[in-house]
Amino acid sequence: MNAGPLTAVLAAFQSGVTSLDEVSTRTGLSRDVVAASVDHLVRLGRIEARSLAIGCPDGGCGTCASGTADGTAGCGSSGPSMRRFGPVLVSLSLRRPDR
Amino acid sequence: MSMPPDTLPADAGPTAPAATAREAQQPAATPSRGAPQATAEASRPAAGANCHTDGAAPQAPAGAPVIALAGAPNVGKSTLFNALTGARRTVGNWPGTTVEVGRGAWTIPGGAVSLVDLPGAYSLDPLSPDEELTRDLLLNPDPAQRPDAVVVVASTAHLARSLYLVAQVRETTLPVIVALTMIDVATRRGIDVDTAALERALGCEVVSLDPRRRTGHEELDQVLRDVLDAGPLTPRGASAVGDHLSEAVSDGEQPAAYPMPDPTGGDGDGDGDSLARADERFAWIEHAIAVSVTERADRRQTWSDRIDRWATAPVIGPLLFLAVMWAVFQVTTKVAGPMQDALDGFFSGPVTDAARAGLGAVGLGGGVIEGFVTNGLIAGVGMVLTFVPLMALMFVLLAVLEDSGYMARAAVVTDRLMARLGLPGRAFLPLVVGFGCNVPAIAATRILPQARHRVLTALLVPFTSCSARLTVYVLLATTFFPDRAGTVVFAMYLTSIVLVVLIGLLLKSTLWRAVGADPLVLDLPPYQRPTVRLSLSVMWLRLQGFLRTASGIIVATVCVVWVLQSIPVVAGESFGSVPVADSLYAAISRLVAPLLTPAGFGEWQAVSALVVGFVAKEAVISSWAQTYAVADPSAGRVPGSLGHQLLQTFEVSSGGHAGVAVVAFMVFLLAYTPCVATLAAQKREIGMKWTVLGVGIGLIAAWVLSVLVFQVGRLFW
Repeated sequence: MNAGPLTAVLAAFQSGVTSLDEVSTRTGLSRDVVAASVDHLVRLGRIEARSLAIGCPDGGCGTCASGTADGTAGCGSSGPSMRRFGPVLVSLSLRRPDR
Repeated sequence: MSMPPDTLPADAGPTAPAATAREAQQPAATPSRGAPQATAEASRPAAGANCHTDGAAPQAPAGAPVIALAGAPNVGKSTLFNALTGARRTVGNWPGTTVEVGRGAWTIPGGAVSLVDLPGAYSLDPLSPDEELTRDLLLNPDPAQRPDAVVVVASTAHLARSLYLVAQVRETTLPVIVALTMIDVATRRGIDVDTAALERALGCEVVSLDPRRRTGHEELDQVLRDVLDAGPLTPRGASAVGDHLSEAVSDGEQPAAYPMPDPTGGDGDGDGDSLARADERFAWIEHAIAVSVTERADRRQTWSDRIDRWATAPVIGPLLFLAVMWAVFQVTTKVAGPMQDALDGFFSGPVTDAARAGLGAVGLGGGVIEGFVTNGLIAGVGMVLTFVPLMALMFVLLAVLEDSGYMARAAVVTDRLMARLGLPGRAFLPLVVGFGCNVPAIAATRILPQARHRVLTALLVPFTSCSARLTVYVLLATTFFPDRAGTVVFAMYLTSIVLVVLIGLLLKSTLWRAVGADPLVLDLPPYQRPTVRLSLSVMWLRLQGFLRTASGIIVATVCVVWVLQSIPVVAGESFGSVPVADSLYAAISRLVAPLLTPAGFGEWQAVSALVVGFVAKEAVISSWAQTYAVADPSAGRVPGSLGHQLLQTFEVSSGGHAGVAVVAFMVFLLAYTPCVATLAAQKREIGMKWTVLGVGIGLIAAWVLSVLVFQVGRLFW
């Protein structure tokens, strides 16, 4: 079977692209198809997607060395918020079987 | 074969005669879409069974064709259901499940059909009970459970996402209609869909409609009627099962079951099979989109995309980031400078005078207590507090950059740089956090999947220049380079980045030779207009952290420094009245000072500040303020005098090369241990052994670099 969009997107990931726009450029697929392909690869478990919020660790202030006893920020950094302020990125990485 | 329209009275109730009439006219072995088998009618969940009714909701007559309405969540499916059924529905659990479905009567030419609003499902490979029900109903080989046709609602704005379900349904013989919604959204984005071309590519009917404006419904009514009359579809790809079915249909036989990809809902025996099958579907989707969708050239890129063309470009991106950060430091130092001077005057003037007057009034004036309060607490903590306007301004500017989404782009730029150097790509995030505060940055190393990456990044974080170090840079830069203070501070941040890269490469080529870079792709959120309230609240949150440090650890440090400065080490002096040069504080510092003479700042005043700086970098400022206030307490503090005294100290220690010596001092300050809180965080995250090694690396790097800067710099400056 010829390589389809999913295989092409996976290959682009493995080649070290850093954004979905780059995936689109490298594969020649439309941005819509790339986004749908990534969604599907996440569903298949081939790709991990996780939100990264700069400003505090994943587990919030409760898991931070500088977090206060009541779970609030104790460092001056932006704490967790319902509004999720600060840069939020979705990190997409190839999932490895050994994880 | 078509079913006679008069067998589906539009207003018939759920009574036996209608069903009977329909069954009576149904040829037993004719595979008509509108006329399922009698056994199927009998066992099909009756309209309203196990359901509760939202008001008076008329149902299609028993035995009426059942039409499934499927589609991914948020594509306008429920809106379309309400439009088709007049918003009258019964809602209840599907028999045997806890999944809620809606039912309603939909009148089409020739009679009413029963419309079932299936739960939102992106595909027929279920990840939830809702999706499982949708899969079961559409793929179940039991005719009693099977709908007569399916309308798949697809968002025109996200067509590729919506068509995966269509691709799977088209692998069966189920008659399918694709209902395109969100045309208006797609049009605004410059997306146009040629429905005729899409029909040809998908091999099924496609109808454009707008459920909210109720346009296109008549066409959908008629198309459904035609589809029901037309009979089963040939599955796409003409698989062996499909071919068999086609032959059976052409021979006038009723197929035993609708063929489907996999009766279990799986897509093969292994991951490879699943991927290959899904890949084939996406190739089909991609082809359908390629032949039917056009994007206007001027609308292909959003304004976010257009900005990102520059903001994340390989060369322009980093330069733009540096320019933005230079502007931030310029604005910060220029605007905050006068406010800082005013606050300095406030603490050294009215506050100090009031404290002296108050202590004198209660009989404590002129003694040790007054010295502690005025030369210790007010001079030390007050000097740190003069930086509040500067920190507030910088926090606001950074919050605006973050809120707008620009900092995420800066992170991408940083990430790309690190990836090219072969450092773990994801490590950029803790490092970016480190420019605010090293402590949460150390904790943020937990996002790294491998322990070696976490250790490496936790050792690099202290080299990122935190905001506490900014206060010292500003004090020294405004004193020694008043006209270029912003640029000097900016240069220190650049040095910090270079240091992270160099130390990272050094560690990678020695301790972590096997560390590889994880492939990492970032999906950036669109830019947005920063909000005043949000930016101010972030600023206030961070300023609170700064104030908490000033009111907690700095006060404690001031007390310890004051005690050390009050203990005499020469005979004839008494506690609290000793010149600081003869105190234990100066004596300890003099022990270390010779080590830093090659760096141009081997005077006890400078060295003592670095020793105190182990506790927190803000303490460098407070200890200097105490040292110079205590050194000549009778002169009183004059706003800006701290700078002049520092100038003299560095002139003496450097032999007339004060400018180079102060740069070397700032480099040392940048490279050595940030604070005890960072060490505690490191110990917690990577253990004592690596923490001690990190302290050693920092001290060695600080000494080597500062000596290098001074020895080379004094040749030219």
